[in-house]
Amino acid sequence: MAIIDPITTGLTSGWHHVDASLLNENQHFEADVVIVGTGAGGGTAAEILTNAGLTVIMIEAGSLKSSKDFDMEERHAYPNLYQQAAAMKTTDKGIGIFQGRTVGGSTTINWTTSIRTPDPTLDFWAQERSVINTSVQEMQPWFEKMEHRLNIAEWQYQPNRNNGVLLEGCSKLGWEHTVIKRNVSGCWNTGYCGMGCPVNAKQSMLVTTIPAALDKGATLISRAKVTHVKHEEQRVVGISAQCMTETRQPNGVELTFSAKHYILSAGAIHTPTILMRSNMPDPHQLLGKTFLHPSVLSGAIFDEQINGHSGAPQAIYSDQFVWRDGAAGELGYKLEVAPIHPVLIASKTIGYGKSHAQIMADFNKLQVVIALIRDGFNDQTGGQVRLTDHGFTLDYPLTKAFWRAARNAFLSMAELQFAAGAKKVLPMNDGLDFMNSWKQAKQQINEMDLKVLKTIVASAHVMGGCPMGEDLSTSMINSVGRSHYFENLSVFDGSMFQTSLGANPQLSIYGIVARNATLLAEELAPKTSASS
Amino acid sequence: MKRRTFITGAFIGTAALALGVNLYSESTLSSQAKDGQRVLFSILIPVFLDGALPAVASQKELAINSTVDAIEQAIAVLPEQQQIELAELFELLESRLGLLILTGSVTSLMLRDSAELTRILEHWRFHFLEMVQTAYTGLRELVLTSYYSNPEHWGRLGYAKPTFLLNEA
Repeated sequence: MAIIDPITTGLTSGWHHVDASLLNENQHFEADVVIVGTGAGGGTAAEILTNAGLTVIMIEAGSLKSSKDFDMEERHAYPNLYQQAAAMKTTDKGIGIFQGRTVGGSTTINWTTSIRTPDPTLDFWAQERSVINTSVQEMQPWFEKMEHRLNIAEWQYQPNRNNGVLLEGCSKLGWEHTVIKRNVSGCWNTGYCGMGCPVNAKQSMLVTTIPAALDKGATLISRAKVTHVKHEEQRVVGISAQCMTETRQPNGVELTFSAKHYILSAGAIHTPTILMRSNMPDPHQLLGKTFLHPSVLSGAIFDEQINGHSGAPQAIYSDQFVWRDGAAGELGYKLEVAPIHPVLIASKTIGYGKSHAQIMADFNKLQVVIALIRDGFNDQTGGQVRLTDHGFTLDYPLTKAFWRAARNAFLSMAELQFAAGAKKVLPMNDGLDFMNSWKQAKQQINEMDLKVLKTIVASAHVMGGCPMGEDLSTSMINSVGRSHYFENLSVFDGSMFQTSLGANPQLSIYGIVARNATLLAEELAPKTSASS
Repeated sequence: MKRRTFITGAFIGTAALALGVNLYSESTLSSQAKDGQRVLFSILIPVFLDGALPAVASQKELAINSTVDAIEQAIAVLPEQQQIELAELFELLESRLGLLILTGSVTSLMLRDSAELTRILEHWRFHFLEMVQTAYTGLRELVLTSYYSNPEHWGRLGYAKPTFLLNEA
């Protein structure tokens, strides 16, 4: 069956797309609004602002890749679609970070899990972090709007066996569990979301809001890396970017942009990095304070076929342990599963030689639960982005509080996997061997040494770094995303969060940005359209 | 002695991988350093992938060579800082002093047997210094991900991507 690629079709129809790698002369661009980044924040804002009659330019550092390029192979997806070829690590190499770098940002390569910002998170921001007008009730219509826009609905198919184990274990233990809502339309249930949806079922920014904005005359500039925001007094007066070659090196050509309003949506690492590099005011040293949902993994071998590569990657989650000790108490963790693909599993398991070869030989009987640790609600966890000679580094020390949560998470995951019928369980903490019973696992996990590099820790959720709120000592932007220091600058991406979320972030970004971009559009839009 | 940045930093990551597409036309490594790097990996791959590589000698050699190629391509798409750190590790492993520090002997890795190489990897894996552990985790991820990125190496896994789009090309 032929798959229609909406990007190919749109480009043929005359979309304004500039591949900056092909430019050989400096150029200047102007628009009502310039948006840096095309992920969940930039994509959502682009559609809303274009619909309001504003001229919009989207600037993206990554390439414009689409379903014709998505061949379901990790060896092509990671270098083409991910930051640092999916090899990004924190400063001490203790956490591996997955983040998108392509048109559509991480929405092009995420696993489609769509969860509203949890009530305790919004309550915490209101009570502790001076965030206003963002209560559960106030946000409800915006989440509904984006759920409708992106076809977000509960997954109706039976979960694959990888998720089925999570469901079964929770049921047997009486733990909370929820069927995941996904942003898909006509999903083929194949399981390759992380390599770019090959059939355009995933309702990522790449196939929804960005094409809609381009249809209405917006401009997309890909392979242009924004390096600097120029500012005078309380106004931003321009943005400059380097054109990148196909091999991701600057080609010496510079682009400049001027606009009435500027939006940074470059993600929770690059938005703060751009602000730091531009010497923007940060009197309370808030820029770059980052949260990751650092996650630990537990593998289990079953007698039955699990085939964790096949089917929707995530269909079930459990919030049994996320809020157990209150938002600011001991770190909680959310239980989900990870899809089983060769490169991902080869790297996120432990050991080498015969023991590793045996794990890989049991590939289709392997089930993997992950625990995402909710960070940032107290001062016991968090990271810091810093500039370096070569770009940036993200320093994220793994603290005692983190290791306490990690140990509890390993216990919960092993208990769950044995309850669901696992033959043996392996917490991904180097030096361990498979454990054959819950009793044995309980003892060994309680005694095992957890340590940076020894314990496998990964993140797919970079958040924070340019926080929202009304108190200038704890926020860089106000509660609707406007800079406290520049009247024509907004930040619309995951960097606006005051803490991590305790949930996969895409729908939080969609909903909050939809509200903030709508307010901005009302302010900026041509007055004649206001009554329509 | 020149301070090695990999000692304080670390290294490679998920080595992401992968390969297939060489995104950088130029590497920071000289061709001589690349030759040394190829030799180093051709020695380490059979240890890291013991039990996974084909048993038949000719097929095993092919698998090792294609993995060395994939590693080269993986390194080429890493950020500059990580490439520098890796180059410094390779340099260290080729120098007599570096070998003495990291392996306890000045004998070239080429002359060690597989039991000795395994002993060295185990020493790094559980070393009390994070910088040495980082060398282990970096090399491990680079080798394992490069091997398993290649569809020709999925036979033992029972994994194959869906075929519904194969007629499209």
